[in-house]
Amino acid sequence: MKCVIGGAQLRVFGRAIHAIARISDEFWFDPLEKGLALRSVNSSRSAYACVFFSSMFFQHYCWTAGTQPCQKEKQLSLPCKLIIKSVLPVFRCVNVLERNVEKCSICSSPSEQHITFQLLCRHGVVKTYNLTFQECDPLQAVFAKHMCPNILKVHSRLLADVMIHFPSSQEEITLSVTPMKVSFKSYTEEDTDFSRTMLTEIQLSPEEFDYFQVGVDSEVTFCLKELRGLLAFSEATSVPVCVHFDRSGRPIAFSIEDLLLEASFILATLCEAESEAASPEPACCPRPRDSSRPGMDKSDQSSTDGASNAVTATSKKPQQKGNTPSMDPAKPPSALAKQEVKNIPRGSERDEPGRAAAGEATEAPQAQVRELPTVPALEPHSCCWAEHPTCTGGFRGIRVTAAQLENPSTAGNTPVGQGGFTGKDLGVAKASQIINAQILYHRILTCTNIAFSSSTPCSSELSLPRTRPLVTPSRAW
Amino acid sequence: MSGQAQGRQCLCERLGPAFSDKEKRKGGIINTIVKLAKTCILRLTVCKLYFILSDKVANGGASMWCELSQGNFFDEFQMEGVAAEHNEIYLEFVPENLWRALKTAQSAKAVKIKLTNKHCPCLRVAVELPSLSSCSRIVTHDIPVGVIPRRMWNDFREPSMPDFDVSIYLPVLKTMKSVVERMKNLSNFIVIEANLSGEMNLKIETDLVSVTTHFKDLGNPPWASEDGCQSSGQGRDLESMAEACIDIKKLQQLLAGQQVNPTKALCNIVHKRIVHFILLHEEVSLQYFIPAIA
Repeated sequence: MKCVIGGAQLRVFGRAIHAIARISDEFWFDPLEKGLALRSVNSSRSAYACVFFSSMFFQHYCWTAGTQPCQKEKQLSLPCKLIIKSVLPVFRCVNVLERNVEKCSICSSPSEQHITFQLLCRHGVVKTYNLTFQECDPLQAVFAKHMCPNILKVHSRLLADVMIHFPSSQEEITLSVTPMKVSFKSYTEEDTDFSRTMLTEIQLSPEEFDYFQVGVDSEVTFCLKELRGLLAFSEATSVPVCVHFDRSGRPIAFSIEDLLLEASFILATLCEAESEAASPEPACCPRPRDSSRPGMDKSDQSSTDGASNAVTATSKKPQQKGNTPSMDPAKPPSALAKQEVKNIPRGSERDEPGRAAAGEATEAPQAQVRELPTVPALEPHSCCWAEHPTCTGGFRGIRVTAAQLENPSTAGNTPVGQGGFTGKDLGVAKASQIINAQILYHRILTCTNIAFSSSTPCSSELSLPRTRPLVTPSRAW
Repeated sequence: MSGQAQGRQCLCERLGPAFSDKEKRKGGIINTIVKLAKTCILRLTVCKLYFILSDKVANGGASMWCELSQGNFFDEFQMEGVAAEHNEIYLEFVPENLWRALKTAQSAKAVKIKLTNKHCPCLRVAVELPSLSSCSRIVTHDIPVGVIPRRMWNDFREPSMPDFDVSIYLPVLKTMKSVVERMKNLSNFIVIEANLSGEMNLKIETDLVSVTTHFKDLGNPPWASEDGCQSSGQGRDLESMAEACIDIKKLQQLLAGQQVNPTKALCNIVHKRIVHFILLHEEVSLQYFIPAIA
């Protein structure tokens, strides 16, 4: 895959990276046929971000690089995970970047161990960054925006003006809407020391919004810190921001749509304590300060038959490391068995988002973050129903036994048609599975007019042999 | 606590739209105070507001007294103290909160400040901001304050002017600020010395280096001698310097908060005891005392 970003668009791209950096330490770099998607999810699964740049955003975008027809679909355009800290220095001072850099090229090829970011600056200076990555499964949140009763559309300037009144240390704010007014206020817990905390509230009238629809009076509380990234990004693009939300407890989605790009940030909201008893997923409505947020902690369930809500065996997800976002290796196989998902032939639901919604959950759909099997042709609309073609062709899973893990080189590449790890396999796979790839990156900087060719020796030292199986027990089978 | 009763007295100050520049100036004062201390006392009387920092250990012994007349800032001002003969309110607050609340009020149509008691006594600052639609935006900040009971009011009396040795006008604050900032990197203490001929020196001395900045032709303010007890009158050698060694950080904080050049800026030095800065703007007077380090 190779793409080139022109100077003018570099600022937007850089801001997108900075926005995603607010969510988590790593992000998914996902080249698709129609464009490039950058996704991220935080460790407690309470925030998900996705920025999709269509191929028109780039000066040049080429998705397929190899000429290996038999393995084309499987090997190319695999999403990979990059550490944000490695990529941020590339796009550090976004404003300065615009002035000095003429273009930026990003390329990766399956045979190499790294993704190369190359900044071609003025005066012939070329900066090359070779970043190693972890291979991983695609990540996608599924959230039916069109099912939300409350929709606001507002220019990013207004949101920024509102947020400026809150201190930068303010973690959470509450948005409350009625058909007559909208207010943002700082959120405090019951045990807050009011004698020390300053509270701020801003009231706006509905006329200030480009589009205002309130179906349900609601008060939703979400994390402001994660949102600030999107606000900065939207100012760079100067596209209005759409806010879709529902009652408290349901996720809230902030999205930007343009011809060239689409971005969406889906944040979990606090649910009111009273609704805990009624909820079919008690684990999902923890005490407000809990790290796992409701509505979002579904990472290890992707079943769709309405039993989805009940299937969440554990609500608390341990810290995500490597390719095992949430699978607690100590989980008994029975729990996993519950989460076994039939390969959902979701492809057929591509044209019927409404129907998909019905089949998805008993209640109105909630945002779900799930690990999906490799799907080369994943549609980029992260906020609509994602279609998942049947997994037969796309599944890269390799059944691995303990012996094979001991000896990665013998794991071979025996693809398995259907998914279906049993708990045992996963249990065994746990430790070695956490691919602790050492992500090194090396910055090659030229101070004179000597242009570096991209074949400069890369200094990345990925210690994974290429043949290591790409088993990820995070697949929710 | 009797302070709570005071808290419930009504207090309403309103800054009107025609006087928006006054809000900027009020913001300017708060800006100064923010740099000086973490908490500050606000004393409200019928005609004046006072911002007071007492010389607690937390402030490093420095104290401040800032006085402004409410008529210059507020269109409407109502207050009721705890009792008729003690018609004052003393509040303790965190200046940063108030600064943050007023920071965004630069372009406001109106600002209202009220003392209320919700969960605890707080100053409610309601800012009405213009917006594109017909309804304006209203931003409300609730700043928690502590009400000081009457028995502690004596702690916060106006400090008396010390018996100074030399009184001199300060140089242009911007220049002084940049000099002191550079010196701050080298040393923790600075010596201010001045004489009655309009000369002032700022000195620092370390093991490696000593730096002195000389200012001259500054001028000495003519203090009217009362009963002849001001020592800045006759009898003092015009050339001899009075000096005091003070914490450089305090001086830097004071200078950093000054954005507008004051109408008058002067300092009184009591030899090896204390330095007393007086900054006078049109409607505000600020006095800052920094004790000398032995």
